[in-house]
Amino acid sequence: MAVSELAGLFQGDLPMGSPMVTGDPLLDGPLLWAPLIVVAIKVLVIFVLGLVGTMFMVWFERKVVAGMQNRVGPNKAGPFGILQTLADGIKLFFKEDLLPDRADRFVFRLAPFLAFVPAFLVWSVIPLGGDYSGGRDGIVTILGQQTRVQLADPPIGILLVLAMSSIAVYGIMLAGWSSGSKYPLLGSVRASAQMISYEAALGLSLAAVLVTSGTLSTSGIVASQTTLGSWNLVTTGFIPFIVFLIAATAELNRPPFDLVEAEQELVGGFNTEYSSLRFALFFLAEFMNTITMSAIVVTLFLGGPRPPAIGNTALTIPLIPGALEGTIWFVLKLLVFLYFYVWLRATLPRLRYDQLMNLGWKVLIPISLGWFLLLAAIRVGDSNGWNVIAVVVIALVSLGLGYLLFTAALRVSSRQRDREGAMY
Amino acid sequence: MSQYLPILVLAILAILFGAVSFVASRLLAPNRPSAAKSAPYECGIVPTKDTPQRFPVSFYIVAMLFIMFDIEIIFLYPYAVNSGELGIYGFFAIGLFSVVFFLTFVYEVARGGLDWGPLGQARDLTSLAEMVSPERTATTTVRRVGSEGRFPVSVGVEEK
Amino acid sequence: MELLVFVAASAMVLGGALGVILMRNPVHSALGLVLTLFGVAVHFVALEAHFLAAVQVIVYAGAIVVLFLFVIMLLGVDSAEDLKVDGLTIQRPLAAIIGIGTVAIVSVAVLRTRSTIAAGPALEASGDSNIRLLSRNLFSDQVLAFEITSVLLIVAVAGTVLLTRKQSGPTGARKGS
Repeated sequence: MAVSELAGLFQGDLPMGSPMVTGDPLLDGPLLWAPLIVVAIKVLVIFVLGLVGTMFMVWFERKVVAGMQNRVGPNKAGPFGILQTLADGIKLFFKEDLLPDRADRFVFRLAPFLAFVPAFLVWSVIPLGGDYSGGRDGIVTILGQQTRVQLADPPIGILLVLAMSSIAVYGIMLAGWSSGSKYPLLGSVRASAQMISYEAALGLSLAAVLVTSGTLSTSGIVASQTTLGSWNLVTTGFIPFIVFLIAATAELNRPPFDLVEAEQELVGGFNTEYSSLRFALFFLAEFMNTITMSAIVVTLFLGGPRPPAIGNTALTIPLIPGALEGTIWFVLKLLVFLYFYVWLRATLPRLRYDQLMNLGWKVLIPISLGWFLLLAAIRVGDSNGWNVIAVVVIALVSLGLGYLLFTAALRVSSRQRDREGAMY
Repeated sequence: MSQYLPILVLAILAILFGAVSFVASRLLAPNRPSAAKSAPYECGIVPTKDTPQRFPVSFYIVAMLFIMFDIEIIFLYPYAVNSGELGIYGFFAIGLFSVVFFLTFVYEVARGGLDWGPLGQARDLTSLAEMVSPERTATTTVRRVGSEGRFPVSVGVEEK
Repeated sequence: MELLVFVAASAMVLGGALGVILMRNPVHSALGLVLTLFGVAVHFVALEAHFLAAVQVIVYAGAIVVLFLFVIMLLGVDSAEDLKVDGLTIQRPLAAIIGIGTVAIVSVAVLRTRSTIAAGPALEASGDSNIRLLSRNLFSDQVLAFEITSVLLIVAVAGTVLLTRKQSGPTGARKGS
């Protein structure tokens, strides 16, 4: 294809498949002073929000876990000990920054940034609020500029999250390697294999959401979930949600998937050799990722900042301006998942590594691939007027065949393993 | 392209935050390195073994398989986003692709590429039968309480 | 603005590429490669090829270089290799030929299509237009190539299995998994 032809293709008329124009209207026009000031305000707000939110999350986790274990938890610094994290953070500033002898100095210094910066960047595509009353579609007006309550709305949208989580692997991997010590190395090897395994499950369950939303943009995904019935949680049929939630927990290296820092066997995992602020950056990144991942789950499956609505009647909070309401709903939904993560930590024992890998590769990945094909089949059948029952039956039969094949493969491999074991 | 501007600004801000904190920490924190502090961490004892240099091949297999799944996922996304327009033809195209891919995955699983953990080793437990029994014997006077029925006395492959 | 982005991205690409070649430590070289791939992603963004930019980061930086790093880290090749010892004698002349050949092909392609590139209109891709066009192309004109990719994946998996699984049998069994 000639270049000019290709260029024409890009400009060619697009079918109006997507229901809404995505992208932040703020940045569509020429970049004058007013939009730039709004951008600066938004960046600063997100930045402060990121840090304060992380501080809150650390406190919340400690307090809730303490409650679940019949302890008091932090209660000295500030009301209910809420300033405890701040005190801990300030303490870390005054701690000696050690650089181990065997460390690779350049990579050792670089690794905290590779963990910390991607964690921050995920914030930029999360819709944090917005005015959804009266068909305003989440657009609010700041300083006379129309904009979305999210830092940026690039066309790749949700893929930015995947890209950032694949960069975050480097932070952990290189931190462990560059320490030149055995526990960090073991921790980081475990962590990187775990993170890439579950990234596959994460990506596959995300595909199901894209089928129902038909767009990559996060604001578009939120916009497609207008009512309770059209939340992706329902339209994708729960399974992708569950797979995504489990995979996200593993991606975050949170309990019960925290083999990375299994303190009984690996001391502190990949960050054993880190002290002072470098450790603080890893710590910050970890908890920030917990918040952003919960926010991604809310965005993808629970309608983001949209108020729950049945038909045309949305549940509105009285006495609160519409522009603020989205944020309140978003925070409420977010807290559910933050609590869920803390709850998991307090409840579940850690998995063994082979169990972890089996869960990722032999359960979550086949399920999400099969479910994606089922969803696609139902949609194709729907748009072509095929009999729904026939489509579902045929799809389930083919998936059943796949299941039989897969279990047969598992049996073959375990028999093979027994044979090999018998030779010793 | 301007949609990416705020992301860039945020990235710069995050890097600056890290850098400034480092400078602050450098000014505030003590710096008294010693040989003991900068030695590799070994719970306080003198390290006897070096850092492991080689890891099981399963890790490479996982990384290799992940590349394949990434490619599969990247091909799924264009279909997923545009599934309404692509219709039956697109569905069968992606279906065929996924089936071939799945069969490949099944082959890998069947060949044990994703098996983790140590091999289950067959142990001849008949010689241990006396040890296993809770009764006092000629070789040992220690009663093994609580192990009744836990060890299969017959010859067999131990469960993993 | 465009020029600034172009210069920055090109600096990333070239700096990363130089790093790959000049660094003594293979892990540092791999990091240089990541920088290069990032620079290419920025170039894609500047050309409004958003989806390709994301793919560049997710697949190349997120999966392929991770595999490289796994191999480097886990095989313990971390100390600087002696460059004087050549494992495969043919690989250096071959590398030179491939390098010069690639440069020649790319320069000829650029020189011959210079007029068309210069005349092309400014690209503007909004929203999901990128991925939609790609999917339309992928599932119509390029469908054969797309399906053959799955065959390529079979070859890759078969190769992995062949290289990593030990022979079953009493001789091979003791090599460990």
